[in-house]
Amino acid sequence: MDESERPGERRRMTLAKWLAEPDESSVELPLSKVRTRTRRDFLLWSAGGLFAAGGSWWLLPDETREHHLTPEMRDWIDSLEARLGADRRRRERFLNRVLTLDDDVAEALYSPTRSVRTYSRSLRNNYNGATPTPAYLPGWTLTVSGLASGRVERLGIADMLGRFAHHDQVTRLFCVEGWSAIAWWGGLRFADLLQAYPPLPSARWAKLESSVNLDAASSPDPYYVSIDLPTARHPQTLLATHLSGKMLQVEHGAPLRLLAPMKLGLKNIKAITSIAYSVEAPADYWNERGYSRYDGL
Amino acid sequence: MRIMDQGHPAATRRVVVRHHALVRLAHWANVPVLLGLVASGLSIYWASPVHQHPVDPTTDSTDYLADLGFWISHPAPGTSADPGAWFYDHFGLGTFRLAQALRLHWLLAYVFMTIGLLYAIGLASGGGFKALLPRRSDVGGAFAMLRYYLGVAPARLLRRPWPHPPVKSKYNPLQRIAYLAMPLLGVLAVASGWAMHKPVQLKWLERLFVNYEGARIIHFWTMVAFATFVIPHVVLAVADGWDTLRSMVTGWSYRVRARHGRE
Repeated sequence: MDESERPGERRRMTLAKWLAEPDESSVELPLSKVRTRTRRDFLLWSAGGLFAAGGSWWLLPDETREHHLTPEMRDWIDSLEARLGADRRRRERFLNRVLTLDDDVAEALYSPTRSVRTYSRSLRNNYNGATPTPAYLPGWTLTVSGLASGRVERLGIADMLGRFAHHDQVTRLFCVEGWSAIAWWGGLRFADLLQAYPPLPSARWAKLESSVNLDAASSPDPYYVSIDLPTARHPQTLLATHLSGKMLQVEHGAPLRLLAPMKLGLKNIKAITSIAYSVEAPADYWNERGYSRYDGL
Repeated sequence: MRIMDQGHPAATRRVVVRHHALVRLAHWANVPVLLGLVASGLSIYWASPVHQHPVDPTTDSTDYLADLGFWISHPAPGTSADPGAWFYDHFGLGTFRLAQALRLHWLLAYVFMTIGLLYAIGLASGGGFKALLPRRSDVGGAFAMLRYYLGVAPARLLRRPWPHPPVKSKYNPLQRIAYLAMPLLGVLAVASGWAMHKPVQLKWLERLFVNYEGARIIHFWTMVAFATFVIPHVVLAVADGWDTLRSMVTGWSYRVRARHGRE
């Protein structure tokens, strides 16, 4: 018994000994070596500090810079940095590449079989934006282009409701600002539309557009988003027609809106009037305003 | 044990190696990166504050941080500038800069994770992690240190002796707790950040914080904890003197102490 316990005990002892903090050991160095190394390290440290300060200034948004230093100092630093090649254009290119990198990470994380978390009940709806008048509803059609057949399809809402299976889901919608809301949505699967009207075989993207969208001042402001086809084919990506069990109201994007809960809320376009499939990444409203393009959650 | 060369006593110097080069690099790189993460993070926070209260009728604010700005800046009644932006203008990148703040936050977050990796490698290869591991005596020791710090100024004023509690290892118990808490806090900040950033693909991580809102709350408070650590950390490091500051740049200290009866 004793014999068999001993090795384990010894192992514990060595682990404890290995984890124990050793006595600080001192070394004796020639003074000249201490001095040169100290000088070298402090020079490196100062260079790092200068680099960090210059880099921080370069990366700051222009409007934020306006709040700091005097105009003369800002001018001086900006022209010095521009001479070193750190100008505004290069900053924008660099930071947009960061966005692309982050999008690539998001795309690599995406799995078509991973489902979005669902909830047992609808909690609240949190939208507060400009609402178009319902005058567009009677004449509404969905235009689908970029199809393998080469045709341009025009679909009415009654046609779509009768033709495609209805699916319900309670999911969370995440806003880029940080708030989120859980709601009960219903509609047809985007995947079913893709199957009924297959896109060009080489197509990788869909551009969804709403020509009836209004800005805050109620002026026409067509809204358009790019959706990658793997996301469009996800079983939880709906072309929603219902909210809380009722037909969509105008403020929620009647009669047909996108519900892609694995994307930021800003991709969930309301009152879709056209879908166009394409090979190249199409224009995206918020990507043109400094946000990322893929926006995968 | 080497006996100092009696012939040239000034030609050599006895030093203690305290910090691995990667640990030093990570320490200083964190200064601008954490500052940038807090500043860009606040500008993101502004878009939809985690902690809100019912609308204040006089300031029209629902945000505690905006209130803090009001309280500090004391805006004159009727000023045209938005006084609710004061806090975000002074500690963040400003208001209405969500896209720019997000872009910077992602950049610095990736840099922060890289720094964390370098720090971990430095701690592991230099054996520095051993000085951070908690000891059974740390609870009592931490209180003794707290008592010492609180009493050091009054004792100096009253000209009474106020001895430093004995420190038998690299760090005192309070330091050890704080320096272990910081990397753990970094891990928590990164984990809650990813839980917010990818709540669908990393839904197991989101669940770890109960839900999306939980991750937002934790992420906000890790920022507060980092900011709270920095103030006493800088004060105490400066108070401790040049040798401490230098050791974080060059890696070595001149404070050679005899230990446990040896040496």
